[in-house]
Amino acid sequence: MADVPAARLEGGLWCHEVLERLDAYVDGSLPSDQRAAIEAHLAACDQCERFGGAYALLVGALRRGLGAARPLGSERARRLERHLQRILEES
Amino acid sequence: MLRATATGDREAFTQLVGSTRDGVWRLIRNLTSDPAAAEDVLQETYVAVWRSASTYRGEGSARAWIHGLARRLSARSWRRRAGEPSTLVPLQELGAQAGWGRDPEELTAALEDRQLLASALEQLAPHDRQILVLCDLEGLSGPEAGALLDLTPSAARVRLHRARLRLMAQLRGGSDG
Ligand SMILES: [Zn+2]
Repeated sequence: MADVPAARLEGGLWCHEVLERLDAYVDGSLPSDQRAAIEAHLAACDQCERFGGAYALLVGALRRGLGAARPLGSERARRLERHLQRILEES
Repeated sequence: MLRATATGDREAFTQLVGSTRDGVWRLIRNLTSDPAAAEDVLQETYVAVWRSASTYRGEGSARAWIHGLARRLSARSWRRRAGEPSTLVPLQELGAQAGWGRDPEELTAALEDRQLLASALEQLAPHDRQILVLCDLEGLSGPEAGALLDLTPSAARVRLHRARLRLMAQLRGGSDG
């Protein structure tokens, strides 16, 4: 089991409560009072601030997309064509 | 082209396949870890396009309609292969594995590398990959993804959050054991 980091209470929230709400914070779906509480915590807690930054970067990297990392390839395109040819002939 | 396909126009169908297959493949491939399974879904998708083009109501683009079919068939495909996660790891432990409380330098460097990101995504459990692809890569909302995966909106959100943490842990080189 990985070590859970030290618990700190900042901005009225414990670190683990920040962790629980990080997704909603990054997605911008938190009500403004909860958002303000998280910002107060992040301003005072280095470990959550850095982790939140990494989390947001990950979400950003995913949203920019993995793009053309895995092209279809001509072999697979040919197999698709042949498969559909059979289906068309049956119908 | 989709309208022409609906009337049984094979030429139009062939053109439609040619102009959409790369994007459809990318979507399916990201949703499905096994390339052979992904290829099955690709073929099933276009068979479904051919057979159900007449049900296309013209709402939204043809491409969006085909991607919708591909997502549904991918979702069905992984449910055939994978069970639900049996153990619920506490969120704090997931956070710790993802590098919470440590220097995120290593992780942020890994994010620059698309290949690394793609292969980390590949190594996730199917239910984690599925929700990440739907929400973060494809841009569906939590409730939309939840509807596809038979999850309530809040369950979908929780799963997404956990999946992102697992991906972070994967990018850090796995858990600390
Ligand atoms: Zn903290």
